[in-house]
Parts: sequence; C-alpha cells; structure tokens
Amino acid sequence: MHKLWLVIKREYLTRVRTKGFVITTIIVPVLTVGILVLQIVTATRQAGHTLRIAVLDEAGGLGSAVARDLSGRLPSGQPEFQVVQVLENPPAGTRENVRARVLGGELDAFLVLPASLGEGKASAEFHTRNPGEVTISRELNHDVSNAVIGQRLQARGVDIRDVAQVVKGVDLKVIKVGTGGDREEQGQTIVLAIVVGMLLYTTLIIYGVATMRSVMEEKTTRVIEVLVASTRPFYLLVGKIMGVAAVGLTQYAIWVTAGALVTAYGAAVASMAHAGALPSLHLSWSMLACTMIFFLMGYLLYASLYAAVGAMVSSDQEAQQAQMPVTMLIVAAVVLFNVIIRDPNSSLSTTLSMIPFFAPILMLLRIALQTPPLWQIGLCLGILALSTAGIVFVAARIYRVGILMYGKRPSLAELVKWVKYT
Amino acid sequence: MAKNGAVTLKGVTKRFDAVLAVNNLSLRINEGSVFGLLGPNGAGKTTTLRMILRIMVPDEGAIEMLGEPLTESAQDRIGYLPEERGLYTRMRVRDVLLFLAGLKGLGEREAGRRVDEWLERLDLRSWTSNKVIDLSKGMQQKVQFIAAVVHRPPVLILDEPFTGLDPVNAGIIKDIMLDLRKQGSTIILSTHRMEQVEMMCDSICLINRGQSVLDGELAAIKRSYGKNTVRLEYEGDPGFLDQPDLVAAINHFGAVTEVRLRPNGDPQEILKAAVARGVRINRFELVEPPLNDIFIEKVAGTAHA
Repeated sequence: MHKLWLVIKREYLTRVRTKGFVITTIIVPVLTVGILVLQIVTATRQAGHTLRIAVLDEAGGLGSAVARDLSGRLPSGQPEFQVVQVLENPPAGTRENVRARVLGGELDAFLVLPASLGEGKASAEFHTRNPGEVTISRELNHDVSNAVIGQRLQARGVDIRDVAQVVKGVDLKVIKVGTGGDREEQGQTIVLAIVVGMLLYTTLIIYGVATMRSVMEEKTTRVIEVLVASTRPFYLLVGKIMGVAAVGLTQYAIWVTAGALVTAYGAAVASMAHAGALPSLHLSWSMLACTMIFFLMGYLLYASLYAAVGAMVSSDQEAQQAQMPVTMLIVAAVVLFNVIIRDPNSSLSTTLSMIPFFAPILMLLRIALQTPPLWQIGLCLGILALSTAGIVFVAARIYRVGILMYGKRPSLAELVKWVKYT
Repeated sequence: MAKNGAVTLKGVTKRFDAVLAVNNLSLRINEGSVFGLLGPNGAGKTTTLRMILRIMVPDEGAIEMLGEPLTESAQDRIGYLPEERGLYTRMRVRDVLLFLAGLKGLGEREAGRRVDEWLERLDLRSWTSNKVIDLSKGMQQKVQFIAAVVHRPPVLILDEPFTGLDPVNAGIIKDIMLDLRKQGSTIILSTHRMEQVEMMCDSICLINRGQSVLDGELAAIKRSYGKNTVRLEYEGDPGFLDQPDLVAAINHFGAVTEVRLRPNGDPQEILKAAVARGVRINRFELVEPPLNDIFIEKVAGTAHA
C-alpha cells in the first residue's frame, strides 16, 4: 500500500509542478476576472460622457417634444444627451453647417427628423462621429418613437399619459417550487444546470485524457518495465487515476475559491457602477456535494477507459483514433442535454440518466433542474458504482497486458484475449 | 564450496496464444555467480527474465528465489536494468531515483542517502537537479543503472548493460558489477556480446525457441569442446584452408583467422598445407572454441533440426 501512495504522490507532484497546470489553473480564472472587469469598466467608461447634440426638425413641431423625451440617464447619473440646439424647419444648407460643427468637435452628433416622419414614411437619422457610442441607439429609438407617437395622439386629441396607462404590459414572474423553499426564477435554474453539466463534461475529458497521456508516457519512455518489476500494475493504474483526480480536485478548489472572490468583486464593482444586481447563480452545498460525487464516479469510470486506451496504443496518432469512442460517449451525454431539459422527469430522461456512461452528467443535470425521487438517485449511483467497478476491473486487465505490448494496436478480439489472460 | 540457488526455475512454461515463448525451462543460478542468459532474438530470454521479475506468471512450473517461492515481496530483492532503457524524461534526476528506490521498498531518508552516494560514485553529482531529458544518453544509462542497484538487491538482472556506454563508463559499470558480486550479489547477465560473457560469466544458459540447448559452467562447456580451433595469422594465399574434410568453419577477423576443425581433424594437416603452398605462418595456436562459435553452432543446429 505504501507503494500505491508513492505512485499517487509522484503523479500528483509532477503534474502540479508543470507549467501546464500553473497556466490553466491561474490563467483561466485571471482571464475570466480580467474579461469581467474589463467589460464592466468599459461599459461604465464608454457611457461616461454626455453627448452634445443638435436636433434638426424638418417636420416642424416635433423637435422640442423629442428634446424633452431624450431623458435617458447614464449609469453615473448624468443625462445621456444634452440638446444644444433645436432647429425647426431649418433652411437649406443647415445640415452641412451642423455636420461641419460635428466634425469640428463642437457637437458630438445631430438628430434629423425628416418632414414625412410624422406620417411614418421616413426614418429618423442619428449622425454621429462615433457610432460605437450608440449602444444607446435602442433607447434613442424609443425616445424618438415616443415623441412622435405622442405628437400623433395629441393631434387626435388623446393624452399620451392615458395611453401609457392603458397599454402598460404585465410582468410575469416564474417561481421555482422546491422542497427548500420557493424561489423566483429568472432562468438561473437552467443556466446553473447547463453550467454544472458543461463543467463535468470538460473536466471529465480533460482529466480523462490526462490519465491516458500519463499511461502513454510511461509506456513510450519504457519506464513502465522498471515499474512493473517493482509493484503491481493495478497499483500503478489506481495510483495514476487517484493522482490525476487529486490534481483535478486541487484545480476545482482553486477555481471555486477564485470564483467566489470574482463573484464578490464583480458584485461590488457592479453595485458601485449602479448597474443593478446581477442575477446570482445560487449553488447550494447539496448541489456542490452532488457535483463532486458525480464527478468522482464519472472520472473513475472514464479515466479507467482512457487509461486502457493509453495502454493499448504506442503513438499519439493511434491514441487520437483509439480515444474517439470514449470521448464520443461523453459528447453524447452533452447532446442529450436537450432531452433532459425539456422534461427532466420523463421516462426517456429517467432511462438515459440511468445508463452508466451518461449517468454522471445527465443525472446531475436532472438534479440541478428538478430533483428526481431519491430512489432514482440511489439506483443511479448503485448502477454507476457497479458498472464502474466492472470497467475498472476490465481496464486493469487490458492495462496490465497492454503496457508491455508494442507495435500494432490490438483488435477487439485480441482485447478480449487480454482480459482473459491470467 | 556448495552454493545455494539464487534463482531456480523448475519446468517453467509460458504461452502467448499459439506461441510457446518458454517451454519447460529448468535453470539453477548459483548464489554469488555471474550467470549469462544467452540466446538469439526471440528465443524467450525477455519472457524468462520477466517471469523471474514477477512481471509475468508462468503457465506451468515454479520459480524460486533465494530458496523461497517467488512472492510479491521478492520484487524488492531484485534489481533490473531492462534492455529498453527508459526514465521519466521530465522529472529531475534525483526525484526519479528517489521514486524508483521507494518502489523497491527503501525508506525516504535511506533512499536519499544512497541515491546521493551513487550519484557521487558515477560522477553525476552536478546533474542531480537537472531533468532527465537534459542528460546525454550515456548519463541516462548510468542513472538507470543506479535505479537497478540502489536497493542493494541480492539478485541483479542486467540486460545488455554496456550498450551505448563509452569504454571509460563501461569500465566503471564492469567494476561495480564485480564489486557487487564480491559482496555476494548474484548477477544475471543477458547479452549478445559473447566476448563479455566469456570475460565475466561463471555459468551460462543458452536458450533457443524457449528451450535450454546448453547450460552449465562456462569453463566446463568450453573444455568439453576441446581445443578444436586453430587461431592463425598468415601471409599469402588462403587457398590452403580449402579442405572441406578437415575444416568445419572459418572465421576471418582481418588480422586473425579462426579455423574450427572437424571432429578428429588434425591441426597438423593445416600447417602442412600452408607450408606446401608457401604460405608464411606468423601465428599458430590451438584454442578452445570461442563462445561465439558454440552459440552459432547450437542455434543453427537446432534451427535446422
């Protein structure tokens, strides 16, 4: 058992010390934080100054109403637009004149309300030096529309405020009913489920392939010959799988911590910028525990398969091909996301989530969406545990023979023979 | 002096599907000896070694080490230098050795002490914290040799230990081998270099097609062939050797020519023929056949049988 510990320790330490580990572990969250901060900062910066505009009202009688309705506020509380000048029925050549002032920097933009705008036959035009600033164009559109509609209604003798009252839409809140209490739903359940599912998918592939590469390294460098002369192949396999799992958990731990910090920091920045609260993804402890359990079981299952693949190949190209069936199984689980999300408790969803190759991802998805009956989770874990044990057993036998075989990749019939060898 | 068997194989057989890799092989390797395991490529040497190393289990027969049946703990008492060398290339030299020493059952502190001693002895002290991949091939070989001997194994298996080493390093390794033997270790040497076997081995076993075709003390084996070989240095026409009734085989080495005689062939006839043809003889020596010839005869003999 001491030798098993040595194998785990070596696997863990050599991996954690590699540049690759440091890069993925540190750079990924730093990049995420960086992008988030950059977005918030640029969003607040960009809308940071009031645009000085002129309004050219060729229709007549609209300009002052529009100017009044351009009441948008920047996140900083400053008005979005400062209407420097309203030119009603401007004489010919005014446009060129105003354009020159924009180019000269005296104005930031000008708004043209064409003569036929009132009849809805023309578009309003917003001329600006920097169209990038018009993240606000929707708001502008809304404001101009309001002014024009108000004008039309007024012409028909209707008060705009009455109309606003009458046509006010109804908000629909979705409340998720759960045993832990009801929660207002803003799409976060599905988002959370997909995030967790994708997380499992990525990590299963990343660490599964890492295990395969590690097996291949020992085989292609031939160091395996000395190793099997020192300890049982089963210890080597299990030690490797556990070592890589420990690396994965270390990375998870770093990310979860970093994630918590980012969320806190992001929320702080957002509240400072008055951007309003972000819809928070509520990850409960029980969900976290489920994620860990299903990750570990799924990893054990897939890492064994990947290790067996690593043991039966002798080169990278062969590995690329031979790993496809295993990777496809994980990808298939992701493809089946839709089925589960549409109806997490249908008999199809239930059956799919019981298949050991899909169970780690799909059952977790179901739990995240709508907690299935406890007996189903129990049954799923039971099936998963039994089949994982079987797969580890078969993989260990393939591993034991494969690591000493060089040359042609074995056929399926040969693999069966390997499993049967004493 | 009665010696115990360091490693004993009794009727060991190993099959891979239809291929009989080792066929009813029995061997006794004396404690404290240097034993040569010889044979052509694919004869079953590696499989035999792997069974002694407990990497594989025989289908039939039994293997004993130091008087006990081979168990898992026996692996800690064998050192192994495989023919295909290999280390973790991206690990540091010292870390690799500590790991491999640990797998052979050495405690951390003891392993550290011995690894440092060996690195010093093999002149690798300044490379300890380099990665294996930064080392030359010869240096990597020495590191691998340390891994084989660091736990002071009573039984040491060396597969082609000198390939890739320059004469200086080969000499150092040879001295260490003889040193270990003096301390009581048993060394199993597997090689195709017959001159090394002749110089180092006490006993040999020649296997072909999974079976022993020759085994025993090297001196006794050679004696049994008698002095049936003439070692010649001459100037002139080699036509005098063209005597199929007398000469079984001729080996030209450039300066030296070795002539193996047929049974009851009289070496005097060679000399006569040479003199008759006016060939100048500079050296004429009756010797035991080189192991190389015995190897070829035995292997070729069974191959045609």
